[in-house]
Amino acid sequence: MVGSIMVVGGGIAGMQASLDLADSGFRVYLVDKAPTIGGVMAQLDKTFPTLDCSMCIMAPKLVATGRHHNIHLLTNAVITNVEGTPGNFTVTVTMKPRYVNAEKCTGCGLCAQYCPVEAVNEYDERLTLRRGIYVDYPQAVPLVYAIDREKCIGCGLCENICQAEAIEYHQTPEEEQVNVGAIILAAGFDEFEPDTKKEYGYGRFKNVVTATEFERILSASGPFAGHVVRPSDGEVPGRIAFLQCVGSRDENSNKYCSAVCCMYATKEAIIAKEHNPDLEATIFFMDMRTYGKGFEQFYKRAQSEYGLRYTRSRVPCIEADPETQNLLLTYETEDGTITKEEFDMVVLSVGLEPPKSNQELSSIFGVPLNEYGFLDWKIFEPLKAKDGIYACGAFSGPKDIPDTVAQASGAAAMASGVVSGERGTLVEEKVYPEELDVAEQPPRIGVFVCWCGINIGGIVNVPEVMEYASTLPNVVFVDQNLYTCSQDTQEKIKQAVEEHSLNRVVVASCTPRTHEPLFQSTIREAGLNPYLFEMTNIRDQCSWVHMHTPEEATEKAKDLVRMAVAKSNLLEPLKSSSVEVTQSGLVIGGGIAGMTAALGLAQQGFTVHLVEKEDHLGGLLRDIRYTVSGEDPQEYLTGLEQSLRDHPNVTIHTQAVVEKVEGYVGNFTTTLSSGEEINHGICVIAVGGQEHKPTSYLYGEDKRVITQLEFEDMLSKGVKAKTVVMINCVESRDDTKEYCSRVCCSEAVKNALQLREQNPDATIYILYRDMRTYAFREQYYDKAREAGVVFMRYDPETKPRLEKKDKSLVLYAHDSALDLDFELHPDLVVLSTGVSPYDNSALSQMLKVPLDRDGFFLEAHMKLRPVDFATDGVFMAGLAHSPKFIDETISQAFGTVARACTIVSKERIETEPIIAEVDEELCCGCQVCIPMCPYNARELDEEEKIVKVNEVLCKGCGSCVAACPSKAAQQRHFRDSQLSSMIEAFVRR
Amino acid sequence: MTFSPRIVGFMCNWCSYAGADLAGISRIKYAPNLRIIRVLCSGRVDPYVVLTAFQKGADGVLVAGCHPGDCHYISGNYQAEKKMKATWKILSKAGIDQERLGLEWISAAEGQRFADVVNSFTQLITELGPLQADPQKIASAKEETADFRIRWLVGREKDLLEEGNVFGEPVEEAVFETLLDDVVSAQYIRNSILTVLKEQSMSAKELAETLEIPSHVVVEHLIHLRRGQKVHMVEGHPIRYEVSAW
Amino acid sequence: MYEPKIIGFLCNWCSYAAADLAGTSRIQYPSNMRAIRVMCSSRVDPEHVLRAFVNGADGVLIAGCHPGDCHYISGNYKTERKYVLLREMLEQFGIDPRRLRLEWCSSAEGGKFAQVVTEMTEELKTLGPIELGAGD
Repeated sequence: MVGSIMVVGGGIAGMQASLDLADSGFRVYLVDKAPTIGGVMAQLDKTFPTLDCSMCIMAPKLVATGRHHNIHLLTNAVITNVEGTPGNFTVTVTMKPRYVNAEKCTGCGLCAQYCPVEAVNEYDERLTLRRGIYVDYPQAVPLVYAIDREKCIGCGLCENICQAEAIEYHQTPEEEQVNVGAIILAAGFDEFEPDTKKEYGYGRFKNVVTATEFERILSASGPFAGHVVRPSDGEVPGRIAFLQCVGSRDENSNKYCSAVCCMYATKEAIIAKEHNPDLEATIFFMDMRTYGKGFEQFYKRAQSEYGLRYTRSRVPCIEADPETQNLLLTYETEDGTITKEEFDMVVLSVGLEPPKSNQELSSIFGVPLNEYGFLDWKIFEPLKAKDGIYACGAFSGPKDIPDTVAQASGAAAMASGVVSGERGTLVEEKVYPEELDVAEQPPRIGVFVCWCGINIGGIVNVPEVMEYASTLPNVVFVDQNLYTCSQDTQEKIKQAVEEHSLNRVVVASCTPRTHEPLFQSTIREAGLNPYLFEMTNIRDQCSWVHMHTPEEATEKAKDLVRMAVAKSNLLEPLKSSSVEVTQSGLVIGGGIAGMTAALGLAQQGFTVHLVEKEDHLGGLLRDIRYTVSGEDPQEYLTGLEQSLRDHPNVTIHTQAVVEKVEGYVGNFTTTLSSGEEINHGICVIAVGGQEHKPTSYLYGEDKRVITQLEFEDMLSKGVKAKTVVMINCVESRDDTKEYCSRVCCSEAVKNALQLREQNPDATIYILYRDMRTYAFREQYYDKAREAGVVFMRYDPETKPRLEKKDKSLVLYAHDSALDLDFELHPDLVVLSTGVSPYDNSALSQMLKVPLDRDGFFLEAHMKLRPVDFATDGVFMAGLAHSPKFIDETISQAFGTVARACTIVSKERIETEPIIAEVDEELCCGCQVCIPMCPYNARELDEEEKIVKVNEVLCKGCGSCVAACPSKAAQQRHFRDSQLSSMIEAFVRR
Repeated sequence: MTFSPRIVGFMCNWCSYAGADLAGISRIKYAPNLRIIRVLCSGRVDPYVVLTAFQKGADGVLVAGCHPGDCHYISGNYQAEKKMKATWKILSKAGIDQERLGLEWISAAEGQRFADVVNSFTQLITELGPLQADPQKIASAKEETADFRIRWLVGREKDLLEEGNVFGEPVEEAVFETLLDDVVSAQYIRNSILTVLKEQSMSAKELAETLEIPSHVVVEHLIHLRRGQKVHMVEGHPIRYEVSAW
Repeated sequence: MYEPKIIGFLCNWCSYAAADLAGTSRIQYPSNMRAIRVMCSSRVDPEHVLRAFVNGADGVLIAGCHPGDCHYISGNYKTERKYVLLREMLEQFGIDPRRLRLEWCSSAEGGKFAQVVTEMTEELKTLGPIELGAGD
């Protein structure tokens, strides 16, 4: 068994899996075929449904992945061979040469500025040019340039230009054998290439673009600086059409639904509209599949607030006016009218395809692919490719970012489960010398000014800045370096600290966002506390942006150095304190989510308490009789329950509810209704949900009107009914429940197919609003249509009406697709009523975690922290989060295991050093700071009547400090005195 | 009145200038249109200077150096050839007949050849008539001869083609030519855009009309110029582009 | 030529990153601003702003993440509320509230950051040097 894990693919899935693994005691090899990690998410402008800036939310993960001492990045690399067995694989990785020494390259970009070769920029979807030597984007990790050998003619200019001497033309492919215990495949997806669909003229018509191209057009860092303009002539388009299902739900390309396009098109249209309020945006679609958490509300807002026009039609072809380059769309609306409409621009919502390397990956790893070329997986094992090899993200089928991230954590849990016994064996901790006590010493400051080759020194007069720095109070040493970040300079800094007894170090160079940790580590090696370091940015925010005014840039650099020196006088050594962790978990809810999470934690070697309010385990899964793909849920449930009961780490508490929760991450104490007290370090909320019980359509009044779950139970016993009508979206997507319950369309299809099998003569109707059989579930929708199930679409304005006439049921329906009225005489009416949350308010208050407006639990971040809460140490999975399928619930449940392991795998957790504190002398107990904290880290001490900070929960934003009226609150490293010192030093005196 | 062209000749000190002297000593008559500027080596003739000559009113420019292999500075004449080849590309972009720039090898012993070359070149330029190029186009072309990328590539051409590249691989002439053509074309359009925008800000569409190039090509180059901080976008309908002040 | 002096409080996650991106994209803007990095825009205390003016700043810029994008969930909303109060306060002190700006810059908006600094510099030039207690 080997305590390391390989992750293949460095997109958001790969990064999340790597971070979870590395944070819970495993060494990670993250392999990406591209020279940098980041994947597709790095290209996106904003993310749905919150419209967060994609790069803003992703960049911290990028940096964390790049910087993590237990994540070993293998970029520009492909896997050529895999041998061995679960627990001990040997993987051969071939690293293509990048012709740039990764250790020496500073990422300054001078080479690319001069390179004579231009090539299309794939990162910008070919809308811009890059050079023959390049990085994909400025925030790239690793920030190391690479030579594109396809384009490079080998002229040798970059070698002449590079002051860091990083160019190495002699590099050859390198092979590395990596020993790992398990493997995670997170190879992502490729986009459908629309040039094969000639009828849309992509490639021929400049104003027909793909959705990803449009994403770059919308981006502030894209080709048009975020202005929405069209490529043919740079004009602002007044009318944009979005065509859905290009390369999805299509006999001629991909039959499956790509699951994300309805949402991304809506998002893009909204953003475009925000750029240009006069824009007329039309989305041509077949079914609007806004099935995820918060998606339906987003779709409604798109119509009511932004006035997007949704037209239900599949546009067959596009013509272009050669004169204006405008696009003519001829389409048939549902009522049969043919309409011809002109647009200025068309965006093709292209689908997701398996990555082009899928066959190769499949044969190297020996993992099966499904008929579409994605990974083949089973409903109860959604993350498993084969023993020891797991998968997450779009590699196993189209999915959105939150599902991807939940799966990534889930795959991390499964992979580490294989080698959980080896936890901590291969991680490296850097050992630093003992810290010098400088608290009583007067400040002795050393200032290092960087040339950054010519990046700073070419504009800013570095020697002058250095000279100036030497005149500042308490500065006892100054130096200038060609590259302050180079390895030899680190030695110079350490030497200077020792020789000149420096107790504060200031570096004036690039951005602390990437380089502060390096210098902090350097002074730690010299025996100084890392917080006795201050950095000021005279490159990114000075020399690079004031290139034409070198004298002013020099003055600014001096000011910035003076301000940094002023603050450094007041720097204090900071230590993170640590608290002990109770290395066990509490899982609330004994359904499939809770059972999976509990068993997962137990298999990782931690004790778990599983609390269930009923007298049996299983939750809602007990009511699921069969799956659409033929598995037996009850058999699975029995097996799972047995594994739980057999596992020595698991304690099951049935007929128990949580009465009281005290404590915080690492140290919770929970009291159950039985009176039992449980100490635990983390908590997983898996309380599930229930089938909504309707009040309409004679439900409860007539026995022939039932819900889908009731019908499923009936099917398991045999159904004789001749005419069955199913009505979807009953008390869903309306005023009763605004959200879409995600599963009902597929459940209706499943039950219809089951009935058809039992009773080939039955007439089955499914009355629906949009068929939301997303991703591979589309195949069952196809199958049901082929099996003669009649699908009839209704609009909410003309809902079906059910009446009882002389004991028989009459259903009046208006088929909105055909614009015809029907009268049906069903023997049985089955209502798809969706999922409702339980009343979660008590638990929400006890654990101090929020609910959304629908009553489900609200995660820390919709996109990137789908199973976390803002409150550390509390996680969730399953229907407690939102309606979802079994496989999705299992993925999430495993996701909580990995997230929980980042805490319970540690004996102690360290607090952030930069956090808030309270001066107890000054605090008057007014509590104005308490609601300021989004992390519940501030609490009133009832006895002392002052507010105290929970150091474990505080994230160090400083919001409370700026609110405190009595100056009792302070933020370490950003104290009022420290900030004021900078403000006071702002003007040269 | 018959047209009498103005021709500037750049003659290298060691061969062609000596050839001209020999023609004189030998009292060989030739057309009087040529004004010679002596340079030490034909390799010194900067494309920028050639364009300056055209800009200042020359109808033709004749560059002459030592015969291949005879260069006083070993390989200066080869470099001259590369430079003039690139200049021909640039001239054609600006709508100037390439033939208006002549390149000849004349040894110190070839007084007669010197006269013949001058005569035939004068004849040629006379037939071509006065240079009537658009001053804006000449300005753009001249700007281009100063372009870093082009100068670097031209300067490296000989070594790359003869000795191979930094990866130790041979560089095919066709590949290099294509690259140079691409660079010259792209740079010319960018310079043209900048020349026009210096006069007044314009939308991409207006630029396309002014420069008579397809609007999507203008858009592509505007993207590049904006990224390089040469121009910036001005909000409005339509979005216009302005030359950046910096 | 009068050159206004600006202090910029930039949040670590979005606007400081935007300023970095302006740099990596080599977007040029006037050199009048000096940045002070804070973890979150909500850390900026009204007192810091006043202190900046007292210490010779002609303008103060507070820049944070876009609403909804805050790294600390809701810090920037608090900043916004404080900003409204601060502007009123400045008026009471006789300081033109245009001297204080609150802007949202995402880490992808290097161009916007440069534009904000440029515009602010221009505006402060028209306002002229600050004269505390003299009706400004």
